[in-house]
Amino acid sequence: MVRLNRVLLKDAGNAIDKTLSEILVCPLSKQPLRFCEKTKSLVSDTIGVSFPIKNGIPCLVPKDGKILEEEADASKA
Amino acid sequence: MRRINSLYGRIGLLRRAPEKSTKQSHTLLASLSFSTEGSYGGDGELQQNSSKVKIFDRDLKRIHRDRAAWLSRQKNDSFVDAVAENLLDRLEDCKKSFPTAFCLGGSLGAVKRLLRGRGGIEKLIMMDTSYDMIKSCRDAQEDSLDNSIETSYLVGDEEFLPIKESSVDLIISSLGLHWTNDLPGSMIQCKLALKPDGLFLAAILGGETLKELRIACTLAHMEREGGISPRLSPLAQVRDAGNLLTRAGFSLPGVDVDEYVVKYKSAMDLIEHLRAMGETNALLERNKAAIYDSMFATEDGTIPATFQVIYMTGWREHSSHPQAKRRGSATVSFTDLQKQFGGQS
Repeated sequence: MVRLNRVLLKDAGNAIDKTLSEILVCPLSKQPLRFCEKTKSLVSDTIGVSFPIKNGIPCLVPKDGKILEEEADASKA
Repeated sequence: MRRINSLYGRIGLLRRAPEKSTKQSHTLLASLSFSTEGSYGGDGELQQNSSKVKIFDRDLKRIHRDRAAWLSRQKNDSFVDAVAENLLDRLEDCKKSFPTAFCLGGSLGAVKRLLRGRGGIEKLIMMDTSYDMIKSCRDAQEDSLDNSIETSYLVGDEEFLPIKESSVDLIISSLGLHWTNDLPGSMIQCKLALKPDGLFLAAILGGETLKELRIACTLAHMEREGGISPRLSPLAQVRDAGNLLTRAGFSLPGVDVDEYVVKYKSAMDLIEHLRAMGETNALLERNKAAIYDSMFATEDGTIPATFQVIYMTGWREHSSHPQAKRRGSATVSFTDLQKQFGGQS
């Protein structure tokens, strides 16, 4: 149970590793990603797609990406 | 589902749904019914690149790998371990150390487990298309208490690598790349992700793999339906591997082949093994199993299956690599060499 708490704490802190945040780019446009606090996801501004982060593991498969139509939709996404 | 269509529309990356005429659709994959979901509208648009033919259903592959993560949790697979061991051994042959390493799909767990500090790796990044596979790797790591290497996990597609250019020293892929639709494209992206003087190590299954199964399937199918359609996925030939490496732009390419014959108690065991590796195409009907057993059984009653593994190595170009000299720039002739080293005639 102690192990479980440690994992939760780590995820609550910064959602992704420092290593990953330096290396990751958008799989489709190869442009840098922005971490969005509100939706806890990685956003690629150039193409307007957000990729989810599950349990601290970013899911950058193009199929998992959600399109952010406008600012209004982004909060729902 | 609108999500995917317009997503690709934005990038202008369009793929045509597989042609009905090429019977490569692996009926048991049911790829036609799957691919309509992702049939990227606009049939009027041309393919960007002729190498982007959709042979494998990647979504189905993800599901297979989710199942494989589940099945292979308990025991270690000796075939997969042998391949990973062979691949990692090559790291010892290099004087260079690779602080940042990236592990692509295939048998991730085996690579991580067998690494044992070779190659001077400090940071390891693991990637797979299946979330369950990554999760089980991460859980295994926490259980083993071996935290000397800083490991990060992410879920991604080998055909769309989410890695910045020139950011990793080493890329390892053990039995992962033979399920990509666009292998040259993946390899090019791998090359770009490597720092100069970075190493690319991959093991893929070759054309001779499971030839017994291929024959049994063909025969069974001929008996039942009077015609044949391919059931085993197209696999790279050794001669193509070299071309792939040079086409991707790697310098000092190297290819070698190894054949492993694995013996099973019955044909169904083989299928179970394939499922646990995430390598299945289809369900095996009992007819094929019977033919397989009768044609290929050895004296002690076990069924052999051949796995041909092609190992590819390539480096990202760097000024320290030896380059071939320009034609006509030779300063020494072969006759001189012969005199120097004493010809045997």
